[in-house]
Amino acid sequence: MNFDFVLYLVINTLVVIAISPLFVSLIKKVKAGTQGRQGPSVFQTYFTLIKLLKKEVIYSPNSSRIMRVTPLVTMAAILVAALFVPLVFVPEPIGGIGNIILFLYLLALARFFMALAGLDAGSSFGGMGSSREMSISAIIEPTTIIVFAALAFVFKTLNIFDMFALTAATGSPATPTLILIGISLFIILIVETSRIPVDNPETHLELTMIHEGMILEQSGRNFALMELSAAVKMTVLMALLINLIVPLGLTTSLTFAGILIAVIVFMVKGSILAGIIGLFESSMAKKRFFQLPSLFAMAFFFSTLVIIIEVFS
Amino acid sequence: MIADKDIGIRAVQEFLGDDALPDRISSGSNNEHYVLLEEPEFEMAVSHLAANKFVLISLFCCEGFFKNAAHTLFYVFERRTSILVLVRGVNGRATSIASIYPSASWFERECRDGFGVEFEGAFDTRRLFLHETYPDGFHPLKKAFRNAPIVTKETVDPVDEYPFREVSGEGVYQVPVGPVHAGIIEPGHFRFSVIGETIFNLEVRMFYKHRGIEKLAEGKSPRDCIRIAEAVSGDESVANATAFCMAVEHISQIQVPERAWYLRTILLELERICSHLGDQAGMLVDVAFPLGANQFSVLREECFRESDRLTSSRFLREMICIGGLSRDVSRTQLDELTSFVHQMRKRYKIGLKIVLSTASVIDRFAPTGVIRHALLRPLNITGPAARASGGKVDVRLNHPYGIYDQFVPKPQRLRDGDVLSRFTIKASEIIDSLDLIERLIATIPEGDVRSDAPIRDGYTLALIESARGQNLCWVWIKDGAIERYKVRTASFGNWLAIEHAVQGNIVPDFPVINKSLNLSYAGTDL
Repeated sequence: MNFDFVLYLVINTLVVIAISPLFVSLIKKVKAGTQGRQGPSVFQTYFTLIKLLKKEVIYSPNSSRIMRVTPLVTMAAILVAALFVPLVFVPEPIGGIGNIILFLYLLALARFFMALAGLDAGSSFGGMGSSREMSISAIIEPTTIIVFAALAFVFKTLNIFDMFALTAATGSPATPTLILIGISLFIILIVETSRIPVDNPETHLELTMIHEGMILEQSGRNFALMELSAAVKMTVLMALLINLIVPLGLTTSLTFAGILIAVIVFMVKGSILAGIIGLFESSMAKKRFFQLPSLFAMAFFFSTLVIIIEVFS
Repeated sequence: MIADKDIGIRAVQEFLGDDALPDRISSGSNNEHYVLLEEPEFEMAVSHLAANKFVLISLFCCEGFFKNAAHTLFYVFERRTSILVLVRGVNGRATSIASIYPSASWFERECRDGFGVEFEGAFDTRRLFLHETYPDGFHPLKKAFRNAPIVTKETVDPVDEYPFREVSGEGVYQVPVGPVHAGIIEPGHFRFSVIGETIFNLEVRMFYKHRGIEKLAEGKSPRDCIRIAEAVSGDESVANATAFCMAVEHISQIQVPERAWYLRTILLELERICSHLGDQAGMLVDVAFPLGANQFSVLREECFRESDRLTSSRFLREMICIGGLSRDVSRTQLDELTSFVHQMRKRYKIGLKIVLSTASVIDRFAPTGVIRHALLRPLNITGPAARASGGKVDVRLNHPYGIYDQFVPKPQRLRDGDVLSRFTIKASEIIDSLDLIERLIATIPEGDVRSDAPIRDGYTLALIESARGQNLCWVWIKDGAIERYKVRTASFGNWLAIEHAVQGNIVPDFPVINKSLNLSYAGTDL
């Protein structure tokens, strides 16, 4: 393992943790704007996380060890997954790091533990949340695989690092097939991060919750970890979309100035995407639970189209 | 052709025979007819009324009404414009009519808890508003009970716990929700029996905040009792206070000045607008469409502020009083209200257009939470919920009070009975109320707003259309003080509608169905 790669691991992890809460707040800010409200400060998510880290953890007497390890497992799985998606700097890949299939299953691991924890505390809402999350993931998983397969067809590689290196090298605007994949990736981003029209992250209605239902019994620093891991997951998926479609600013050489510029450019691009997500969420109501597959079908359709184009062109 | 008002009398003639009529029937001061019935003929009379499409709109108990009976039960029936009250003297025991009128079940359980009257043959004899922690044999509405705090049970024996309806079968599981909820809402317990996500059965349990309103009113002077009437349900203050004052005014034959009725009607309609706007905002929040929801929330808040400017109370409190209004409203304030209404209508229509042109919202609203037309009569469902299911129920049209006979609201009626119909019905009612307020201000006469006249003894019934539907109150004044004050708000009947409306829907749709019915917890639990 060379020095560059070690530095990459440190930089990528720090940047993703530092930036994620900002994007969460930005989406809230944009949504508030569309409703004619001022909305909370863009630093509110940081304050909330710090507050939660200081609070004590309360466990239900019915809960087992699952409840205690889940926040750590989730955070760890998501942080490792975050290493697979270079935010600002693309080094030479080492070992399995960057493999898109492994990336997918790291996300699945986090989700699996979250669903277990939802069931573990014995509350009916946790159970409902877990059952819904599992139904959704069972339906979205084939779609996700097809989308990533389409990516692999376009770049002729299964490694995210190589994909990014290719797009960064050309630096040109995205090809038509990439834009189609971009639409699919956007839908996956919405589904994976539990946003409208799949789930409502701001709801207080226990009966309608999916993601929030599963983490309803979490408290204190455990809850902070769950919130932070959700934010990091969102940023990683956003980065995947951004760096494929608009690779501008992504650097492949390790210089201080280059990294600094890349971070700033990434923040700008991420903020724009956060704004788009906010507007997208404001434009519609949540879909009825059993009508969600129609949304996934759209992502499925676009990626299948890309595969067909790539195979026959 | 018999006038609608006489339908009740004719029905009584049919089952009593002509001769018995004059000494058995008496007219109340608010166009209602009281018929005294003997025990043997009672059940036949009720079956006869049921066959003639009469709706049971209330049932309440009273002590000391007759000398020879411990309890007197009043069964209030309605058909179109006629109101018939069957009066029945009993001594602690009575036969149940719940198998003929399902809506009687809650009423009978209420009487049992309050007075200890046992209903024989009832299919449901569980406690209603007194939960398990209250001691056995405790009946707070008995005259013998002096209103004071009582010692409740610390723990409840598992045997005495409230038995919910058991639904069993493969894949059926129970989801208990409440009475403590995640949002800032009132307490209520919902017991869902669910197969996957589909609701198979729902049972609601209310009455977690019993305040003893009816007991509190007893012995108070009628003028003091208005504040109690206003507190029955926060956002129905004007409706409940007006109903109470109407009853007292009818008993004492007080002529309310015309200007007062104009202003009262403005306040009643303003209250309706606030309530409907809140519902519509809530329904949009529940389908996660905050963009639309916020527009209505903003308008609702502005309505509250306008109410505050007009009456110094955001909930229009302390304006209604016996004989009229406690104070006048100046011409400048009324002009201000006119321009407010004008602005309001414009902005409301813009908001409505955005919501109704959003496909994803319509997709969630229709065909969710259908209330079938056939349920309206047996459960006495009233208000927008009934009008959205094809019911012709509106107290303002069926039993016009005040000046509603001159200012007739537009009859609203839709047939689908789903959330979308309730949303659109409420939208048309808001527009209609705004029009009504404008017309009222344009033609309001000058003059006094209160006539002071002595309050006399007597009893009568008053009906009013609140935002949620038909509210009813029965007032009995004895020796210048309230002897019995019975309120039945629309929510008391409509709560049972939700148990039927959610069946076959999915669990995540429950909040929006609940919100579309806008049921008051406080108005149910007095």
